[in-house]
Amino acid sequence: MGSVNLAEVLLPEMVILDCDPFKDKEDMFDTMTRRFEEAGFVSDAKAYKRALEYRESLGPTYMGRFVAIPHGKCKEVLKPGIGFVRCKSPFLYESAGESGEVKYAFVLAISDNQEDDYHLRVLATLAGMLAHDEFLELLNQAANYEDLIQGIKALS
Amino acid sequence: MKVVAVTSCATGIAHTYMAAEAILKICKEKGYECKVEKQGALGIEDKLKSRDIKAADLIVFANDVGISKSERFKGYEDKILQTKPHDVIKDPSIIFGEK
Repeated sequence: MGSVNLAEVLLPEMVILDCDPFKDKEDMFDTMTRRFEEAGFVSDAKAYKRALEYRESLGPTYMGRFVAIPHGKCKEVLKPGIGFVRCKSPFLYESAGESGEVKYAFVLAISDNQEDDYHLRVLATLAGMLAHDEFLELLNQAANYEDLIQGIKALS
Repeated sequence: MKVVAVTSCATGIAHTYMAAEAILKICKEKGYECKVEKQGALGIEDKLKSRDIKAADLIVFANDVGISKSERFKGYEDKILQTKPHDVIKDPSIIFGEK
């Protein structure tokens, strides 16, 4: 799938494996947007959360098969990045009138700067990989961050 | 069977590319030829040529936002299946009218 390096935008501090299920989507957004701010991807977690919520208002980001892929684009995104969370058990994810059980969530931070093609390409590659069973299996199986990144490299 | 598709979505990143992969994957499984044009944040990628459109048995529009350069599809309306990227991702078989 091209020569993009997902490891560059999926940093260890942005990957949470086997956390307790979130109360709801809002709860997950709070945790993840805070992480994005702490890791220096966004300048303002609240503004970024509003961008995620705006995208939710346009249509569902629940993708079926326990996967959600919320994403936000705003000027407060300093550099594009991905956060990934795997819950110990699914939580109910409500998104634009649809709802489903979610265990795996990829949260994307997209910058307003459209010239950053490389990072957009990485995010697009990730989105494409989600359509493949092998990738979903990896998300379920990966024992730790290293395992996940190695698995992604092997599949991309 | 030859399938061509165009995918697009609001942000131009997630659904556009996920739907494109889902369409390519199901066509591969069925042994169909398939080309998918992505109209996303990176511009138009893998642009369909008029001969692709002409040769196609099925044209899938999986778009949330208007399709760019839609004049290419004029005259082939009877081959077009209109759907949404979200629906294709959740169940790719809908492009063949299967449930």
